[in-house]
Amino acid sequence: MKSVFGKITQEACIVSIISIVFGLLVNHFSPAGIALVGSWDKTEGVISANERNGVVVHEREIQNVDAVKKIYDQGNTLFLDARISEQYEEGHIHGSISLPVRQFDELIDTLFEKYPSSTPIITYCTGRECRDSHELAQLLLDAGYENVKVFSDGYPAWEKKEYPIE
Amino acid sequence: MNSIGTILIHNRKIQVVFRFILGITFMAASFHKISDPGQFAQIIYGYGLFPENLINLIAIFVPFFEFFCGLLLIMGIWKGGACLIINIMLVGFIAAISINLIRGYEFDCGCFPGSSSSRYFNTITLLFRDIFLLCLGFSVLISDIQKKTR
Repeated sequence: MKSVFGKITQEACIVSIISIVFGLLVNHFSPAGIALVGSWDKTEGVISANERNGVVVHEREIQNVDAVKKIYDQGNTLFLDARISEQYEEGHIHGSISLPVRQFDELIDTLFEKYPSSTPIITYCTGRECRDSHELAQLLLDAGYENVKVFSDGYPAWEKKEYPIE
Repeated sequence: MNSIGTILIHNRKIQVVFRFILGITFMAASFHKISDPGQFAQIIYGYGLFPENLINLIAIFVPFFEFFCGLLLIMGIWKGGACLIINIMLVGFIAAISINLIRGYEFDCGCFPGSSSSRYFNTITLLFRDIFLLCLGFSVLISDIQKKTR
């Protein structure tokens, strides 16, 4: 009986080694591979697994709600809401425009017609567990917009501060 | 009840069906996680149970454990070892789901593409599915142990 359990444990160990080796190899060579340790500390900004093709760039983030409000008050920055339209309809930063990441391709031309590539833009979504604001920022930069920032804390923090919403 | 259990464990055809159910389920569950480990890591983070330093490692390794164990069960090679790992994973899944259910924590199980268990009903379904799979897993493991002791 003891040898049977030994044999099963041995099989499990071999399977484990094969799985770990393949996991490391595939992750290393895959374009979608991730770092061995991710950025899961929300105090550092929007969380991410640190993907090789990842879109989260902490340098683009504005992490202070009041700093975002100061930019908002200057009135020359376009705020883009990366959440789905239903969430936008429920409430959004006053004056912001809805541009859900999944609808980017169909809406980008209209945006370009109204706002030139030099327009300063801030994207936002639901906070530091949401990557849509970063995805949208990357898409906008790829499309030609030059000055795009991300509001890390997004709509919930803005609403909590009782800043203008509609 | 005891005789039903004995029949299930000793019947060769039933054991093959059990192995295929487990194998296909785990292999199918592994593909989208292997293709997008970043998304899977985000889902593991959403469980709110794992140390930050381990999240990426779990996201990298668990899908391959699922894939190879599923494959071996279908092929009928190293059934005992593969099934032992599957049972350990299932116990872990059941524990994670139960803890979040008890504390009323909403999360996406990440089991299959597009799956979401943000609703209470789905979480309960998920829990019962994993308990069912664990029963199959124990049956296959006991069957393999008995075969090896003969």
